[in-house]
Amino acid sequence: MHLTRVEERMLNGEFGEALSVATKILVKVGEALGASKLIEVSHVHISGVSYSNIGEPGLEYLEKLALTKPRFSVYTTVNPSCVDLSLSSRIISLENWEKQAIINGILESMGSRASYTCMPYLLRRPFMFEHLAWGESSAVAMANSFYGALTNREGGPLTIAAAIAGRTYMAGLHLMSERSAKHVVKAPPLNNEAEASLLGLYIGEEYSEITQITGALGWSYSMVKEFLAASAASGSHALVPLDGVTPRGTYAVEEGVERSGIDKRELEYYYDKVSKALELGEETLVYVGCPHLSLSELRQLSTMLDGRRLKRGVHFLVTVPGTYRALGGLDLFLKKAGVEIAVGTCPIVSRITVKPDVVLTNSGKALFYLSKLHKFNVSLASLVDIVKLVSEK
Amino acid sequence: MISLRAKPIIEGECCGELFLVDRKISFYGEVDPVAGEVCGVEGSFKGKVLAIRGIRGSTVSSYIVYSLRKHGVAPNCIVVEDAEPILIVGCIIAEIPLVKVEGFNELVKAFSLGFRRARLISEGGVLILE
Repeated sequence: MHLTRVEERMLNGEFGEALSVATKILVKVGEALGASKLIEVSHVHISGVSYSNIGEPGLEYLEKLALTKPRFSVYTTVNPSCVDLSLSSRIISLENWEKQAIINGILESMGSRASYTCMPYLLRRPFMFEHLAWGESSAVAMANSFYGALTNREGGPLTIAAAIAGRTYMAGLHLMSERSAKHVVKAPPLNNEAEASLLGLYIGEEYSEITQITGALGWSYSMVKEFLAASAASGSHALVPLDGVTPRGTYAVEEGVERSGIDKRELEYYYDKVSKALELGEETLVYVGCPHLSLSELRQLSTMLDGRRLKRGVHFLVTVPGTYRALGGLDLFLKKAGVEIAVGTCPIVSRITVKPDVVLTNSGKALFYLSKLHKFNVSLASLVDIVKLVSEK
Repeated sequence: MISLRAKPIIEGECCGELFLVDRKISFYGEVDPVAGEVCGVEGSFKGKVLAIRGIRGSTVSSYIVYSLRKHGVAPNCIVVEDAEPILIVGCIIAEIPLVKVEGFNELVKAFSLGFRRARLISEGGVLILE
Protein backbone atom coordinates (compact mmCIF):
# COMPACT_ATOMS: atom_id res chain seq x y z
CA MET A 1 0.00 0.00 0.00
CA HIS A 2 1.26 3.47 -0.85
CA LEU A 3 1.56 5.74 2.19
CA THR A 4 2.37 9.45 2.16
CA ARG A 5 5.41 10.69 4.08
CA VAL A 6 3.18 11.86 6.91
CA GLU A 7 1.36 8.53 7.05
CA GLU A 8 4.70 6.70 7.17
CA ARG A 9 5.63 8.80 10.20
CA MET A 10 2.23 8.20 11.78
CA LEU A 11 2.76 4.48 11.34
CA ASN A 12 6.28 4.58 12.77
CA GLY A 13 5.09 6.18 15.95
CA GLU A 14 6.64 9.61 15.46
CA PHE A 15 3.34 11.20 16.54
CA GLY A 16 2.75 8.89 19.46
CA GLU A 17 1.55 5.38 20.09
CA ALA A 18 -2.17 6.04 19.60
CA LEU A 19 -1.74 7.31 16.06
CA SER A 20 0.67 4.51 15.28
CA VAL A 21 -1.74 1.76 16.46
CA ALA A 22 -4.66 3.38 14.63
CA THR A 23 -2.70 3.65 11.38
CA LYS A 24 -1.53 0.05 11.73
CA ILE A 25 -5.13 -1.18 11.96
CA LEU A 26 -6.16 0.83 8.89
CA VAL A 27 -3.17 -0.37 6.88
CA LYS A 28 -3.73 -4.01 7.84
CA VAL A 29 -7.40 -3.98 6.91
CA GLY A 30 -6.63 -1.98 3.77
CA GLU A 31 -3.96 -4.42 2.66
CA ALA A 32 -6.29 -7.35 3.26
CA LEU A 33 -8.87 -5.71 1.03
CA GLY A 34 -6.42 -4.67 -1.66
CA ALA A 35 -6.45 -0.92 -0.93
CA SER A 36 -3.92 1.18 -2.83
CA LYS A 37 -3.73 3.96 -0.25
CA LEU A 38 -5.37 5.68 2.72
CA ILE A 39 -7.81 8.55 2.18
CA GLU A 40 -8.85 11.40 4.42
CA VAL A 41 -12.41 11.31 5.77
CA SER A 42 -14.51 14.22 6.94
CA HIS A 43 -16.84 12.50 9.40
CA VAL A 44 -16.43 9.33 11.44
CA HIS A 45 -19.36 7.64 13.12
CA ILE A 46 -18.40 5.21 15.87
CA SER A 47 -20.48 2.09 16.41
CA GLY A 48 -20.18 -0.53 19.11
CA VAL A 49 -20.39 1.75 22.13
CA SER A 50 -23.11 0.10 24.18
CA TYR A 51 -21.91 -1.74 27.26
CA SER A 52 -24.75 -4.28 26.90
CA ASN A 53 -23.37 -5.13 23.47
CA ILE A 54 -19.61 -4.98 23.83
CA GLY A 55 -19.51 -6.02 27.49
CA GLU A 56 -16.45 -6.22 29.70
CA PRO A 57 -14.10 -7.19 26.82
CA GLY A 58 -15.13 -4.12 24.82
CA LEU A 59 -14.74 -1.86 27.84
CA GLU A 60 -11.27 -3.30 28.52
CA TYR A 61 -10.29 -2.66 24.92
CA LEU A 62 -11.37 0.98 25.17
CA GLU A 63 -9.69 1.48 28.55
CA LYS A 64 -6.45 0.06 27.20
CA LEU A 65 -6.71 2.34 24.19
CA ALA A 66 -7.44 5.36 26.39
CA LEU A 67 -4.11 4.87 28.19
CA THR A 68 -2.36 5.98 24.98
CA LYS A 69 -4.32 9.26 25.17
CA PRO A 70 -5.67 9.40 21.62
CA ARG A 71 -7.45 12.44 20.18
CA PHE A 72 -9.91 12.26 17.33
CA SER A 73 -8.67 14.36 14.44
CA VAL A 74 -11.98 14.73 12.55
CA TYR A 75 -15.65 15.40 13.30
CA THR A 76 -16.82 12.30 15.15
CA THR A 77 -20.24 11.14 16.31
CA VAL A 78 -21.21 8.04 18.28
CA ASN A 79 -23.98 5.46 18.22
CA PRO A 80 -26.65 5.05 20.93
CA SER A 81 -25.45 3.73 24.29
CA CYS A 82 -27.31 1.43 26.66
CA VAL A 83 -28.78 4.01 29.04
CA ASP A 84 -31.52 6.57 28.69
CA LEU A 85 -29.69 9.89 29.01
CA SER A 86 -32.81 11.55 30.41
CA LEU A 87 -32.73 8.90 33.17
CA SER A 88 -36.52 8.82 33.09
CA SER A 89 -37.36 5.64 31.20
CA ARG A 90 -38.67 2.75 33.26
CA ILE A 91 -38.46 0.41 30.26
CA ILE A 92 -34.76 0.80 29.46
CA SER A 93 -32.79 -0.79 32.29
CA LEU A 94 -30.30 1.31 34.23
CA GLU A 95 -28.30 -1.72 35.38
CA ASN A 96 -25.16 -0.93 33.36
CA TRP A 97 -25.29 2.80 33.97
CA GLU A 98 -21.88 3.10 35.62
CA LYS A 99 -20.05 1.02 33.03
CA GLN A 100 -21.70 2.95 30.21
CA ALA A 101 -20.68 6.23 31.81
CA ILE A 102 -17.05 5.08 31.64
CA ILE A 103 -17.35 4.25 27.94
CA ASN A 104 -19.07 7.55 27.13
CA GLY A 105 -16.43 9.39 29.14
CA ILE A 106 -13.61 7.72 27.24
CA LEU A 107 -15.09 8.52 23.84
CA GLU A 108 -15.93 12.11 24.74
CA SER A 109 -12.45 12.64 26.18
CA MET A 110 -11.04 11.57 22.80
CA GLY A 111 -13.20 14.23 21.19
CA SER A 112 -16.45 12.65 20.06
CA ARG A 113 -19.72 14.58 20.11
CA ALA A 114 -22.24 13.41 22.68
CA SER A 115 -24.58 12.46 19.83
CA TYR A 116 -25.63 8.94 20.89
CA THR A 117 -27.69 8.32 17.82
CA CYS A 118 -27.85 5.94 14.88
CA MET A 119 -28.72 8.93 12.64
CA PRO A 120 -25.43 10.85 12.33
CA TYR A 121 -26.72 12.17 9.00
CA LEU A 122 -29.21 14.35 10.88
CA LEU A 123 -26.39 16.07 12.76
CA ARG A 124 -24.18 16.58 9.75
CA ARG A 125 -25.63 15.96 6.32
CA PRO A 126 -23.19 14.01 4.13
CA PHE A 127 -22.23 15.42 0.74
CA MET A 128 -22.25 13.48 -2.51
CA PHE A 129 -18.98 11.64 -3.16
CA GLU A 130 -17.67 12.53 0.29
CA HIS A 131 -15.47 9.90 1.94
CA LEU A 132 -16.75 8.83 5.37
CA ALA A 133 -15.84 6.08 7.81
CA TRP A 134 -19.05 5.05 9.47
CA GLY A 135 -20.07 2.17 11.63
CA GLU A 136 -23.77 1.48 12.33
CA SER A 137 -25.18 -0.48 9.44
CA SER A 138 -28.40 1.53 9.01
CA ALA A 139 -26.53 4.84 8.88
CA VAL A 140 -24.04 3.46 6.38
CA ALA A 141 -26.89 2.36 4.13
CA MET A 142 -28.42 5.86 4.34
CA ALA A 143 -25.08 7.59 3.66
CA ASN A 144 -24.46 5.56 0.51
CA SER A 145 -27.99 5.06 -0.78
CA PHE A 146 -29.77 8.30 0.14
CA TYR A 147 -27.04 10.93 0.36
CA GLY A 148 -24.66 9.50 -2.24
CA ALA A 149 -21.66 9.63 0.09
CA LEU A 150 -19.00 6.91 0.12
CA THR A 151 -18.46 4.64 3.10
CA ASN A 152 -17.93 0.99 3.89
CA ARG A 153 -19.67 -0.70 6.79
CA GLU A 154 -16.95 -0.46 9.40
CA GLY A 155 -16.64 -2.37 12.64
CA GLY A 156 -16.48 -0.50 15.95
CA PRO A 157 -12.69 -0.64 16.53
CA LEU A 158 -11.96 0.42 12.97
CA THR A 159 -14.15 3.52 13.30
CA ILE A 160 -12.14 4.52 16.34
CA ALA A 161 -8.89 4.03 14.43
CA ALA A 162 -10.30 6.10 11.56
CA ALA A 163 -11.33 8.91 13.93
CA ILE A 164 -7.83 9.03 15.42
CA ALA A 165 -6.05 8.92 12.06
CA GLY A 166 -8.66 11.01 10.22
CA ARG A 167 -8.39 8.49 7.42
CA THR A 168 -9.62 5.20 6.16
CA TYR A 169 -8.43 2.69 3.56
CA MET A 170 -9.28 3.23 -0.11
CA ALA A 171 -11.22 0.09 -0.95
CA GLY A 172 -14.73 -1.25 -1.29
CA LEU A 173 -17.46 1.37 -1.60
CA HIS A 174 -14.93 4.23 -1.75
CA LEU A 175 -14.24 3.09 -5.31
CA MET A 176 -16.78 3.72 -8.08
CA SER A 177 -15.92 0.35 -9.57
CA GLU A 178 -17.33 -1.33 -6.45
CA ARG A 179 -20.60 0.58 -6.60
CA SER A 180 -22.42 -1.15 -9.40
CA ALA A 181 -25.64 -3.04 -9.00
CA LYS A 182 -25.66 -6.72 -9.97
CA HIS A 183 -29.44 -7.07 -9.75
CA VAL A 184 -32.40 -4.81 -10.42
CA VAL A 185 -35.58 -5.54 -8.51
CA LYS A 186 -38.90 -3.83 -9.08
CA ALA A 187 -40.70 -3.16 -5.81
CA PRO A 188 -44.46 -3.49 -5.63
CA PRO A 189 -46.42 -0.37 -4.60
CA LEU A 190 -45.95 0.05 -0.84
CA ASN A 191 -48.24 1.95 1.50
CA ASN A 192 -46.26 2.62 4.61
CA GLU A 193 -42.97 2.28 6.49
CA ALA A 194 -43.80 -1.20 7.82
CA GLU A 195 -44.22 -2.53 4.28
CA ALA A 196 -40.97 -0.83 3.28
CA SER A 197 -39.32 -2.50 6.29
CA LEU A 198 -40.63 -5.88 5.22
CA LEU A 199 -39.29 -5.42 1.70
CA GLY A 200 -35.94 -4.42 3.23
CA LEU A 201 -35.74 -7.61 5.31
CA TYR A 202 -36.65 -9.63 2.24
CA ILE A 203 -34.02 -8.00 -0.01
CA GLY A 204 -31.43 -8.42 2.75
CA GLU A 205 -32.13 -12.12 2.97
CA GLU A 206 -32.55 -12.91 -0.71
CA TYR A 207 -29.81 -10.82 -2.34
CA SER A 208 -26.21 -10.70 -1.25
CA GLU A 209 -24.86 -8.42 -3.98
CA ILE A 210 -25.67 -4.78 -4.67
CA THR A 211 -29.31 -4.62 -5.76
CA GLN A 212 -30.98 -1.60 -7.30
CA ILE A 213 -34.63 -1.08 -6.40
CA THR A 214 -37.00 0.50 -8.87
CA GLY A 215 -40.43 1.80 -7.88
CA ALA A 216 -39.18 3.64 -4.79
CA LEU A 217 -39.71 7.12 -6.19
CA GLY A 218 -42.78 7.92 -4.10
CA TRP A 219 -41.42 6.60 -0.82
CA SER A 220 -41.40 8.93 2.18
CA TYR A 221 -38.20 9.64 4.12
CA SER A 222 -39.40 7.26 6.87
CA MET A 223 -40.00 4.51 4.33
CA VAL A 224 -36.50 4.91 2.87
CA LYS A 225 -34.97 4.90 6.34
CA GLU A 226 -36.87 1.80 7.47
CA PHE A 227 -36.25 -0.04 4.22
CA LEU A 228 -32.50 0.57 4.33
CA ALA A 229 -32.17 -0.23 8.04
CA ALA A 230 -33.96 -3.54 7.52
CA SER A 231 -31.90 -4.55 4.50
CA ALA A 232 -28.71 -3.72 6.40
CA ALA A 233 -29.82 -5.88 9.35
CA SER A 234 -30.97 -9.04 7.62
CA GLY A 235 -28.26 -8.86 4.96
CA SER A 236 -25.08 -6.86 4.91
CA HIS A 237 -26.25 -4.21 2.54
CA ALA A 238 -24.24 -1.00 2.71
CA LEU A 239 -25.56 0.34 -0.59
CA VAL A 240 -28.99 -0.33 -2.03
CA PRO A 241 -29.42 2.15 -4.88
CA LEU A 242 -33.01 3.40 -5.12
CA ASP A 243 -33.82 4.44 -8.67
CA GLY A 244 -34.78 8.12 -8.68
CA VAL A 245 -33.78 8.62 -5.03
CA THR A 246 -30.07 7.79 -4.81
CA PRO A 247 -28.06 10.62 -6.44
CA ARG A 248 -27.19 9.73 -10.02
CA GLY A 249 -23.56 9.11 -10.71
CA THR A 250 -22.85 7.77 -7.23
CA TYR A 251 -23.51 4.23 -8.49
CA ALA A 252 -23.87 2.33 -11.71
CA VAL A 253 -26.01 -0.52 -12.95
CA GLU A 254 -24.05 -3.20 -14.76
CA GLU A 255 -25.09 -3.90 -18.31
CA GLY A 256 -27.21 -6.96 -18.86
CA VAL A 257 -27.98 -7.47 -15.17
CA GLU A 258 -30.69 -9.80 -14.07
CA ARG A 259 -34.00 -7.96 -13.62
CA SER A 260 -36.85 -9.27 -11.58
CA GLY A 261 -39.88 -8.14 -9.67
CA ILE A 262 -41.41 -8.88 -6.30
CA ASP A 263 -45.17 -9.06 -6.11
CA LYS A 264 -47.32 -8.25 -3.12
CA ARG A 265 -48.28 -11.88 -2.56
CA GLU A 266 -44.65 -12.88 -2.16
CA LEU A 267 -44.25 -10.19 0.50
CA GLU A 268 -47.44 -11.27 2.31
CA TYR A 269 -46.18 -14.83 2.41
CA TYR A 270 -42.83 -13.60 3.75
CA TYR A 271 -44.62 -11.47 6.36
CA ASP A 272 -46.25 -14.58 7.83
CA LYS A 273 -42.82 -16.18 8.03
CA VAL A 274 -41.05 -13.40 9.93
CA SER A 275 -43.78 -11.55 11.83
CA LYS A 276 -46.52 -12.44 14.28
CA ALA A 277 -50.02 -11.18 13.53
CA LEU A 278 -50.88 -7.71 14.82
CA GLU A 279 -52.76 -8.12 18.10
CA LEU A 280 -52.56 -7.05 21.72
CA GLY A 281 -51.06 -9.36 24.31
CA GLU A 282 -51.70 -9.34 28.04
CA GLU A 283 -48.58 -7.20 28.27
CA THR A 284 -47.68 -5.38 25.06
CA LEU A 285 -44.61 -3.33 24.27
CA VAL A 286 -44.81 -0.88 21.40
CA TYR A 287 -41.42 0.22 20.14
CA VAL A 288 -40.97 3.09 17.71
CA GLY A 289 -37.71 4.83 16.85
CA CYS A 290 -35.48 2.27 15.16
CA PRO A 291 -33.62 4.02 13.62
CA HIS A 292 -34.18 6.95 15.99
CA LEU A 293 -37.09 9.28 15.31
CA SER A 294 -36.31 12.61 13.74
CA LEU A 295 -38.05 15.73 15.07
CA SER A 296 -40.62 15.70 12.27
CA GLU A 297 -41.41 12.03 12.84
CA LEU A 298 -41.75 12.77 16.54
CA ARG A 299 -44.16 15.59 15.75
CA GLN A 300 -46.24 13.28 13.54
CA LEU A 301 -46.46 10.78 16.36
CA SER A 302 -47.51 13.37 18.89
CA THR A 303 -50.25 14.54 16.52
CA MET A 304 -51.46 10.98 16.11
CA LEU A 305 -51.61 10.48 19.86
CA ASP A 306 -53.10 13.87 20.73
CA GLY A 307 -56.11 13.33 23.00
CA ARG A 308 -55.65 9.57 23.12
CA ARG A 309 -54.58 7.29 25.96
CA LEU A 310 -52.87 3.94 25.95
CA LYS A 311 -54.97 0.88 26.70
CA ARG A 312 -54.28 -1.22 29.79
CA GLY A 313 -51.24 -3.45 29.62
CA VAL A 314 -49.54 -1.39 26.91
CA HIS A 315 -46.05 0.06 27.25
CA PHE A 316 -45.11 2.51 24.52
CA LEU A 317 -41.42 3.26 24.02
CA VAL A 318 -40.01 5.88 21.67
CA THR A 319 -36.28 6.40 21.21
CA VAL A 320 -34.66 9.61 19.97
CA PRO A 321 -31.10 10.92 19.42
CA GLY A 322 -28.96 11.91 22.39
CA THR A 323 -28.91 15.47 21.10
CA TYR A 324 -32.66 15.76 21.72
CA ARG A 325 -32.31 15.97 25.47
CA ALA A 326 -34.40 19.11 25.45
CA LEU A 327 -37.43 18.50 23.29
CA GLY A 328 -39.11 21.87 23.74
CA GLY A 329 -42.41 20.51 24.95
CA LEU A 330 -42.91 18.08 22.09
CA ASP A 331 -42.64 15.28 24.58
CA LEU A 332 -45.51 16.62 26.71
CA PHE A 333 -48.22 15.35 24.36
CA LEU A 334 -46.57 11.98 24.25
CA LYS A 335 -46.03 11.76 27.99
CA LYS A 336 -49.66 12.72 28.59
CA ALA A 337 -50.73 9.80 26.45
CA GLY A 338 -48.47 7.50 28.49
CA VAL A 339 -45.59 7.24 26.02
CA GLU A 340 -42.04 6.93 27.31
CA ILE A 341 -39.27 8.73 25.48
CA ALA A 342 -35.78 7.34 25.95
CA VAL A 343 -32.91 9.52 24.81
CA GLY A 344 -29.68 8.38 23.17
CA THR A 345 -30.42 4.68 23.46
CA CYS A 346 -32.66 1.92 22.11
CA PRO A 347 -33.83 -1.54 23.23
CA ILE A 348 -31.53 -3.26 20.72
CA VAL A 349 -28.41 -1.95 22.45
CA SER A 350 -29.74 -2.09 26.01
CA ARG A 351 -31.57 -4.37 28.39
CA ILE A 352 -35.23 -3.79 29.07
CA THR A 353 -37.11 -4.20 32.31
CA VAL A 354 -40.50 -5.29 31.00
CA LYS A 355 -41.42 -8.80 29.87
CA PRO A 356 -44.06 -8.32 27.20
CA ASP A 357 -45.66 -11.31 25.52
CA VAL A 358 -46.00 -9.24 22.35
CA VAL A 359 -43.82 -6.51 20.85
CA LEU A 360 -45.28 -4.26 18.15
CA THR A 361 -42.97 -2.20 15.97
CA ASN A 362 -42.90 -0.44 12.62
CA SER A 363 -39.22 -1.29 12.15
CA GLY A 364 -37.92 -4.35 10.33
CA LYS A 365 -34.54 -3.89 11.95
CA ALA A 366 -36.10 -3.88 15.42
CA LEU A 367 -38.09 -6.98 14.50
CA PHE A 368 -34.91 -8.71 13.34
CA TYR A 369 -32.89 -8.02 16.49
CA LEU A 370 -35.63 -8.12 19.12
CA SER A 371 -36.76 -11.54 17.96
CA LYS A 372 -33.20 -12.84 17.62
CA LEU A 373 -31.52 -11.24 20.65
CA HIS A 374 -34.30 -10.85 23.17
CA LYS A 375 -36.39 -13.75 21.80
CA PHE A 376 -39.60 -11.73 21.78
CA ASN A 377 -42.73 -12.39 19.74
CA VAL A 378 -42.60 -9.41 17.43
CA SER A 379 -45.24 -8.09 15.08
CA LEU A 380 -44.47 -5.63 12.31
CA ALA A 381 -47.13 -3.00 11.53
CA SER A 382 -47.37 0.63 10.49
CA LEU A 383 -47.33 3.31 13.14
CA VAL A 384 -50.87 4.32 12.20
CA ASP A 385 -52.18 0.77 12.68
CA ILE A 386 -50.26 0.32 15.92
CA VAL A 387 -51.52 3.59 17.41
CA LYS A 388 -55.09 2.66 16.45
CA LEU A 389 -54.78 -0.72 18.15
CA VAL A 390 -53.07 0.29 21.38
CA SER A 391 -54.74 3.60 22.24
CA GLU A 392 -58.26 4.96 22.75
CA LYS A 393 -59.92 8.36 23.14
CA MET B 1 -6.48 -35.18 1.07
CA ILE B 2 -8.00 -32.16 -0.63
CA SER B 3 -6.27 -28.84 -1.12
CA LEU B 4 -7.95 -25.48 -1.69
CA ARG B 5 -6.35 -22.23 -2.76
CA ALA B 6 -6.22 -19.97 0.28
CA LYS B 7 -5.08 -16.46 1.07
CA PRO B 8 -4.08 -15.59 4.62
CA ILE B 9 -5.73 -12.26 5.51
CA ILE B 10 -4.47 -12.16 9.08
CA GLU B 11 -1.28 -14.21 9.32
CA GLY B 12 -0.91 -16.95 11.88
CA GLU B 13 -1.06 -20.65 12.40
CA CYS B 14 -4.23 -22.27 11.12
CA CYS B 15 -4.55 -25.93 11.89
CA GLY B 16 -7.11 -28.09 13.62
CA GLU B 17 -10.50 -29.72 13.59
CA LEU B 18 -12.88 -28.10 11.13
CA PHE B 19 -16.07 -26.54 12.55
CA LEU B 20 -18.28 -25.74 9.58
CA VAL B 21 -21.28 -23.40 9.55
CA ASP B 22 -22.35 -23.22 5.93
CA ARG B 23 -23.81 -19.72 5.87
CA LYS B 24 -23.10 -16.10 6.71
CA ILE B 25 -23.50 -15.42 10.39
CA SER B 26 -23.85 -12.30 12.51
CA PHE B 27 -21.41 -12.62 15.43
CA TYR B 28 -23.67 -10.18 17.24
CA GLY B 29 -26.90 -12.03 17.93
CA GLU B 30 -25.99 -15.40 16.47
CA VAL B 31 -22.86 -16.23 18.45
CA ASP B 32 -22.67 -16.85 22.20
CA PRO B 33 -19.38 -15.15 23.15
CA VAL B 34 -19.11 -16.94 26.51
CA ALA B 35 -19.76 -20.48 25.30
CA GLY B 36 -18.16 -20.05 21.88
CA GLU B 37 -21.19 -21.42 20.10
CA VAL B 38 -23.18 -20.49 17.02
CA CYS B 39 -26.96 -20.27 17.51
CA GLY B 40 -28.64 -23.45 16.35
CA VAL B 41 -25.37 -25.34 15.84
CA GLU B 42 -24.28 -28.04 18.26
CA GLY B 43 -20.92 -27.82 20.02
CA SER B 44 -18.31 -25.13 20.60
CA PHE B 45 -15.77 -23.86 18.06
CA LYS B 46 -13.22 -23.18 20.80
CA GLY B 47 -9.74 -24.11 19.55
CA LYS B 48 -11.08 -25.31 16.20
CA VAL B 49 -10.93 -23.99 12.67
CA LEU B 50 -14.20 -22.12 12.26
CA ALA B 51 -15.30 -22.12 8.63
CA ILE B 52 -18.11 -19.75 7.66
CA ARG B 53 -19.28 -18.19 4.39
CA GLY B 54 -18.78 -14.75 5.88
CA ILE B 55 -20.53 -12.41 8.25
CA ARG B 56 -23.67 -10.34 8.05
CA GLY B 57 -25.54 -7.81 10.12
CA SER B 58 -24.29 -5.62 12.93
CA THR B 59 -21.08 -3.64 13.04
CA VAL B 60 -20.75 -4.60 16.72
CA SER B 61 -19.49 -7.98 15.58
CA SER B 62 -15.80 -6.89 15.75
CA TYR B 63 -16.09 -6.62 19.54
CA ILE B 64 -17.86 -9.96 19.77
CA VAL B 65 -14.92 -11.58 17.95
CA TYR B 66 -12.59 -9.83 20.40
CA SER B 67 -14.63 -11.05 23.38
CA LEU B 68 -14.24 -14.66 22.22
CA ARG B 69 -10.52 -14.24 22.93
CA LYS B 70 -11.20 -12.54 26.29
CA HIS B 71 -13.53 -15.37 27.33
CA GLY B 72 -11.00 -17.97 26.22
CA VAL B 73 -13.26 -19.58 23.62
CA ALA B 74 -11.72 -18.16 20.44
CA PRO B 75 -11.41 -20.45 17.46
CA ASN B 76 -7.89 -21.39 16.46
CA CYS B 77 -8.45 -19.71 13.13
CA ILE B 78 -11.35 -18.52 10.95
CA VAL B 79 -11.79 -19.60 7.34
CA VAL B 80 -14.15 -17.61 5.13
CA GLU B 81 -15.36 -17.35 1.58
CA ASP B 82 -15.83 -13.59 1.89
CA ALA B 83 -13.57 -11.47 4.14
CA GLU B 84 -15.40 -8.37 5.26
CA PRO B 85 -13.84 -5.38 7.10
CA ILE B 86 -15.88 -5.92 10.29
CA LEU B 87 -14.56 -9.45 10.66
CA ILE B 88 -11.00 -8.48 9.66
CA VAL B 89 -10.80 -5.80 12.38
CA GLY B 90 -12.24 -8.22 14.94
CA CYS B 91 -9.59 -10.77 14.02
CA ILE B 92 -6.79 -8.17 14.19
CA ILE B 93 -7.59 -7.05 17.73
CA ALA B 94 -8.44 -10.58 18.88
CA GLU B 95 -5.30 -11.98 17.20
CA ILE B 96 -7.19 -14.72 15.39
CA PRO B 97 -5.71 -15.80 12.04
CA LEU B 98 -8.13 -15.27 9.16
CA VAL B 99 -7.96 -17.15 5.89
CA LYS B 100 -9.94 -16.62 2.72
CA VAL B 101 -10.45 -19.70 0.56
CA GLU B 102 -11.42 -20.07 -3.04
CA GLY B 103 -14.03 -22.71 -3.63
CA PHE B 104 -15.91 -22.76 -0.37
CA ASN B 105 -18.36 -25.22 -1.96
CA GLU B 106 -15.50 -27.72 -2.28
CA LEU B 107 -14.79 -27.29 1.40
CA VAL B 108 -18.43 -27.97 2.25
CA LYS B 109 -18.45 -31.04 0.03
CA ALA B 110 -15.18 -32.31 1.51
CA PHE B 111 -16.55 -31.80 5.01
CA SER B 112 -19.62 -33.90 4.23
CA LEU B 113 -17.34 -36.60 2.85
CA GLY B 114 -15.54 -36.78 6.16
CA PHE B 115 -12.53 -34.48 5.69
CA ARG B 116 -12.66 -32.94 9.13
CA ARG B 117 -9.18 -31.47 9.69
CA ALA B 118 -7.79 -28.31 8.13
CA ARG B 119 -4.20 -27.14 7.85
CA LEU B 120 -2.95 -23.95 6.22
CA ILE B 121 0.33 -23.88 4.33
CA SER B 122 0.88 -20.12 4.16
CA GLU B 123 3.82 -20.08 1.78
CA GLY B 124 2.03 -22.18 -0.78
CA GLY B 125 -1.29 -20.44 -0.25
CA VAL B 126 -3.21 -23.66 0.20
CA LEU B 127 -5.56 -25.02 2.81
CA ILE B 128 -5.25 -28.78 3.17
CA LEU B 129 -8.28 -30.80 4.25
CA GLU B 130 -7.68 -34.28 5.65
